Amino acid sequence: MTDSAWGERKQQARLKRMIQSKRVRRFTANRTAVIGGWLMLLLISASLLTPWLARFEPQAVDVIQRLKPPSLTHYFGTDNLGRDVFSRTLSGMGISIQVGLTVAIISSTAGLAIGLYSAYYRRLDQVLMRIMDGIFAFPAVLLAMAMMAALGPNVSNLIICLSIVFIPAVARIVRSSALVVKEQTYIEAMRAIGASRARIVWLHIMPGTLPALIVQGSFVFAESIIVEAALSFLGAGIPAPMPSLGNLLSEGKAFIYNSWWMTLFPGFALIICVLAMNWFGDGLRDMLDPYGKTKRSRKTRKRSGSAQSAS
Amino acid sequence: MANQSLLEIQSLRTSFHTEAGIVSAVDGISLKIGAGEIVGVVGESGCGKSVTAQSILRLLDEKALTSYEGEVRFNGVDLLKLSQRQMRGVRGNDISMIFQDPLSSLNPLLTIGEQITETIRSHRKTSKKAALLEAIGLLQLTGIPSPERRVYEYPHQLSGGMRQRVMIAIALACEPKLLIADEPTTALDVTIQAQIMDLLVKLNKELGMSVLLITHDLGVVAEVCHKVAVMYAGQIVETADVATLFSNSQHPYTAGLLHSIPHIDRDRSKPLEAVRGFVPALHQLPKGCRFAPRCLYAEDQCLSDMPELEAKPGISSMARCWHSEKLQREEA
Amino acid sequence: MPIFILRRLLALIPVVLVMSIVVFLIIYLIPGDPARVMLGDGADESTIQELREQMGLDYPLVEQYGRWMWHAIQGDLGRSFFLQQPVSTAIAEHLAPTLSLAILAQFIAVLIAIPLGVRAAVNRGGIADKVLNAYSLLGISVPGFLLSLFFVLIFAVKLRWLPVSGYVPLQDGLGTFLRYMFLPSLSIGIVMSSLTARIVKASMLEVLNEGFVKTAWSKGLHPNKIIYKHVFRNALIPVLTVIGGSFGTLVAGAAVIESIFNIPGLGQMLVHAVERRDYAVIQGMVLFIAIVYVAVNLIVDLMYAIVDPRIRLQ
Repeated sequence: MTDSAWGERKQQARLKRMIQSKRVRRFTANRTAVIGGWLMLLLISASLLTPWLARFEPQAVDVIQRLKPPSLTHYFGTDNLGRDVFSRTLSGMGISIQVGLTVAIISSTAGLAIGLYSAYYRRLDQVLMRIMDGIFAFPAVLLAMAMMAALGPNVSNLIICLSIVFIPAVARIVRSSALVVKEQTYIEAMRAIGASRARIVWLHIMPGTLPALIVQGSFVFAESIIVEAALSFLGAGIPAPMPSLGNLLSEGKAFIYNSWWMTLFPGFALIICVLAMNWFGDGLRDMLDPYGKTKRSRKTRKRSGSAQSAS
Repeated sequence: MANQSLLEIQSLRTSFHTEAGIVSAVDGISLKIGAGEIVGVVGESGCGKSVTAQSILRLLDEKALTSYEGEVRFNGVDLLKLSQRQMRGVRGNDISMIFQDPLSSLNPLLTIGEQITETIRSHRKTSKKAALLEAIGLLQLTGIPSPERRVYEYPHQLSGGMRQRVMIAIALACEPKLLIADEPTTALDVTIQAQIMDLLVKLNKELGMSVLLITHDLGVVAEVCHKVAVMYAGQIVETADVATLFSNSQHPYTAGLLHSIPHIDRDRSKPLEAVRGFVPALHQLPKGCRFAPRCLYAEDQCLSDMPELEAKPGISSMARCWHSEKLQREEA
Repeated sequence: MPIFILRRLLALIPVVLVMSIVVFLIIYLIPGDPARVMLGDGADESTIQELREQMGLDYPLVEQYGRWMWHAIQGDLGRSFFLQQPVSTAIAEHLAPTLSLAILAQFIAVLIAIPLGVRAAVNRGGIADKVLNAYSLLGISVPGFLLSLFFVLIFAVKLRWLPVSGYVPLQDGLGTFLRYMFLPSLSIGIVMSSLTARIVKASMLEVLNEGFVKTAWSKGLHPNKIIYKHVFRNALIPVLTVIGGSFGTLVAGAAVIESIFNIPGLGQMLVHAVERRDYAVIQGMVLFIAIVYVAVNLIVDLMYAIVDPRIRLQ
């Protein structure tokens, strides 16, 4: 570094940053995952402990105390029926997390099976993946809403609809990582010694796809919380009196002029839930697959047209 | 050579900052290129010859974390001390460069004409039309048929050899005094290789333009260069004029390289001699002479002390070896 | 180039086919008789029968699908029992607000995403890169409708700078139109820009490694010229893909935003149709979105051809 003309100091700062970022990446990735995980646990336990944390029942109506701003009695204020927004937010979070988790588990399981079999059987692949592409092309909110309209709004229908909507996202990821595993020599060897197909698929290919599955599952978790909230907000999700986050926001919208707390607190609760899950997923991905980033950017090049819901 | 040097590299060291620590890909190189000369730099891949080439134009600035030490004097001005802005005035104008793979070196989305004229127009004020006419002239100069049509075509419509000619046309756009050619023919067919080399020699003669030719091909060096520097593991191990180097190599590595060239009249019952062993990794270089672990003549001194690049008695070459005399005797 | 377009078109056919089947089958998710469910418990048998006939429910399933598709291809998406008008007319009436929302949001998204993504890629680890990282996490974690609720709280309720909700068509003056559209399109635009910015960065980073970038440096060009003329143009194709993909999503995904801002667009029409269980409208809408998806994909393909001579001159 002979001269000042081209910014020695700047160069050094850049150098430090880069070396640091490389060395630290794995550790930070780990830390992000850990923070996300703990935050999630914290939120889940908070929602489970609602009866002990909140002084009021989520559904307890108190008309005299309606639309009261946050205070020491009602931490998040009260709504138009005098219900405690704090306890409603906590239990709403609980419902959102429950729905999200169930959807993540169901669509991960189904997506895993579809992804594995279409990676293994070429003929099946053609059919299954065309179907997955077709479903994937729909905006998530739209498809879920149309199905909910047919099935009628209740929690189990909502879970079914959201699971169907998110299966393709999982199946695609599982399939592509299963295809990589399938090409490994040991799978060839297994086939040569005459192992059964089910054994190869489930005992030898499946474990290789697990990292990708777990990461994708956590993103589905986060996405389904968002879509659930959007649907409930529109009245096509969880039926009204139940305090889901979407319902709380929908109620808040009606009183947005004079009761900001009815929108702000459930809104933040929603953000924190999704953020925790995304942190968890992001950290996990960097941990399990440190080169994932480069791989993903390659793929985007080949028109994946990732259609995220813009809701 | 007594004449004033056009480019004078003085103990240049180019270092990259990596996770494994600081690595000097080029380690104390000194090299002179006179006006109108063609100077070759040869060596195996990874020896630092490309880094040397790019260090002259400081093309590594923008990429990895790089630091340069030493001097690169062009017409007396140290390029390493110029600001980015001044450096831009040198690149493509006084010194230009062509690269190994002409396909990836051309922007696939722009017409040939656009890629030539943008060089002209970023160094000189001319109208688009005038620049395009110049571009056609340049394509003609580099031997591209029907250039007035070619300027409107895209790189993917041209063959590999044509693309390299386009690269050369771009490089010539501002009549540079020095052209750095970084393995310009490696990615091309053998017949095309010869054509491109002939073109470079012709341009050198007609335009008086100096050429720094980076290559791993000693045959090419023998044919076109006036002087050669042989690089090994980031250092120059021998430098001489071409005739001397080929007839009287002072460094065992050069000798090894020369032996590994197949001759048409060689005894085919014997295997071709290769330089044994591998190029050492840059972060674990041997303490003494860097070539010692692969050298047939290595002794204790070679393993412990690094020899300097010094003039050898009675000959015009310089070499970095303790045992040049011994080599002379054996070879003779 | 015509071959290229044709090939892209052929590739889209199975997707559209599956989409249409999914749309068609949605009605069969209804437990019981769709006509009866639609009309509610109080309806008399003759009305139900009339609706059954109108919906073609008495034909076998495959034939129903065939008839439905045949009509759809001709632009007939059926008739809404509740609106008492053809679904295609209803869609046409509600298209303008949604389209303007989508275009404005896309515009805002691109306006934010490109400079941010480019700077982040060019100066890795710098301020823009850090901002982008935080921003993209925000974009994934904060749904657009929530953002718009917050915006309403701040800009409409607290500061009173902008109207809370409503829609004024463009014909009534650009200023008013923009005042009403600003918050909805901003909230969608921000969420979309985070995704786009990430793609811009990733794509830029890939192109920055290409040989012609080094050539451009060796020519002595100004860095801005290198970045925008050489690198960015080459990085554009994946970015176009994402923009195209999100545009289709936008037209549909704006449902929640439209309902918040009371914009009489397709989304709101869909929400009302869902409330009324107006299946003809739901099916027609979803199919329409599928068609938009295909159309946008084709436009994106055409844009590839414009950007990339290798495709154009095939």
